[in-house]
Parts: sequence; structure tokens; C-alpha cells
Amino acid sequence: MWAGAAALVVGSLVWAAWPSGGPPTAGQRAHALATELRCPDCEGLSVADSSTPSAQAIRNDLARRTSTSQSDASIRSVYVARYGESILLTPPTSGLSLLVWVLPVVALALGAGGLALAFTRWRRAPRLSATDADEALVRGARST
Amino acid sequence: MRHPARSAALAVGVVVAVLGVVLATQVGTNPQADTQTSRLVGQREPTFTARSFDGQPVSSTGLAGKAVIVNFWNSWCTPCQQELPALKTFEQEHAADPSVAFVGILRDDTVSAARAYASATGMTWTLVGDPGSNLSLAFGTRGQPETFAISPGGLIVGSQIGPASVKNLDTMLAAAQGNP
Repeated sequence: MWAGAAALVVGSLVWAAWPSGGPPTAGQRAHALATELRCPDCEGLSVADSSTPSAQAIRNDLARRTSTSQSDASIRSVYVARYGESILLTPPTSGLSLLVWVLPVVALALGAGGLALAFTRWRRAPRLSATDADEALVRGARST
Repeated sequence: MRHPARSAALAVGVVVAVLGVVLATQVGTNPQADTQTSRLVGQREPTFTARSFDGQPVSSTGLAGKAVIVNFWNSWCTPCQQELPALKTFEQEHAADPSVAFVGILRDDTVSAARAYASATGMTWTLVGDPGSNLSLAFGTRGQPETFAISPGGLIVGSQIGPASVKNLDTMLAAAQGNP
């Protein structure tokens, strides 16, 4: 029974991850780009998710550009030139923006390294044990 | 012998300091720069055609040779209402100058509401609609009011995101007139 369940899980994952056939259509590309672009006059919404006139205009523009075979990269660059990199919901992975991706990893590694160092030092530190003189001192204090 | 924790703290401090210098020099002091100045400044103006509220054609070609101030506005936005006195003063100062054009482009509003508001408040300059928000998109606006200065040769030489004062407008116009 367990083998059957495992096979079902693995089969489902493979089926979900398997690339669908054929290149994306112009409409699919336009929608994918709309999910990458920030709606210019909203807070944190993508162009795909926003209903403002600007977002609608951008969706129309994306549809027009993808239908005329402009590449995704060139379409992104048009919008970056017009609005700046803040129009991209996901920061680019090049140039200074790379720091956005690298810094959290570096901070995590530094934190993990610091913790490992601290745990190692605590483990190596000798356990404290009371000497005869310490015990005599405590006995004396209790008897008074 | 140096304490290892002190060395680690020193290393972290150096890394943070270097990152700070890099960010300060590369990003500048204003991470919101994209939302305060248009990226189109220094670029050619978008080619556009539109219709004024009274049905007259208005186009970038027709405005060529003039210093143009373009103002994106609408009837319901409070900052637009706040800048209206400055726009009226500016327009009155330059209404008689044929080398200057002042165009208001409607953004995110209906022409009927905007026409009524313009009539009630005495907006006498050229006002155009923007069905489909194509002009708003072409100028890369993020909201309203936004104002652009265009040189007689069609170069965008200045922008103002948010309400403009008369001084802002005069400065932008001077920049437009001072460029080919």
C-alpha cells in the first residue's frame, strides 16, 4: 500500500513538473509579463492583478508587443527605460540589484556561522565544579 | 592573543561598512528616486495625437517648435486641485506667448466630469482626453498630477511628480526654452 502511495506522489510531482508542449502563445507571454510588472499607480499589485486604467493600458500594450514578436527582454527594457527598475516586481539578478538576492544568503550564513562558533565554544568550556573550599564556604554561610 | 569573537565582529563591521559605501555611492541617498523624477527626462517626447475637449486635434507634431508644458490631471484628485491656482497663474502669464503651449491631459477620469470641473474652475488652457490611457502610458506616469517640460525640438527636459508651484513651472519652462 505504501509503495502505491509513494508511486502516486512521485507520479503526480513528475506530471506537474513536466514541461507542457510547445512555446508559449503571445497571450501567455503577455500575461506572464503582466505578472512581472508592477502596476505604476498601485501599491504592490502586479499589472495582471490591477484593474486601474494604467494597468489595463499596459496589458493592452503587452498584448500588442508580444503579438508583433518583440522579445520578453526587449519589452522589459522598454518599461524599465520608461519607469525605472522599480517597475519590475522581481529585482533583476545582475548589477547592484544582485545584492538583494545575495545579502540575505550572506546574512543567513554569517548568522549560522556565529551560532556554530558559539555552540562550539560553549561545548568546549570546562564544566564548573565546586572545590572543597567552595563547599566549606557554603556550609559556613548556611550554619550562620 | 586576539579574542576570536572580536575578530568576527570586526569582520562583520568591515563588511557592513563596505556595503554601506557601495549602496551610498551607487544608489544615492534616495531609494525612491524612480517615483520622484520621470525617467523620460533627457529622452525624446512620445509621439502622440489626441482630441481636445472641444474636438480640436492636438499632437506632438502640431506642437513642434514650441516650448510645451504638459500636465496630467483629473477632477477628483486633491493634489491636482491644490496645484490648480499655480496652473492658472502660469497660464495667465504665458497665454499671449505663441512660443509656449500649455496642455492638460486627463488621467483616470471621465471627460464629462473633467469638462464640468474645468468649466467651474476656469481652466482655459488646452485640455485633452486620453481614452485608453495611451498618453499616460507613453509618458510613464505613475499618478496625477505630473508635469513635463518639452523643448521646441521635442526633448523632455524636466518633470514634476506631484503638485507644481508657479516657480516649478517657470523653471521647467525656462529649461524647455533653453534647449533646442
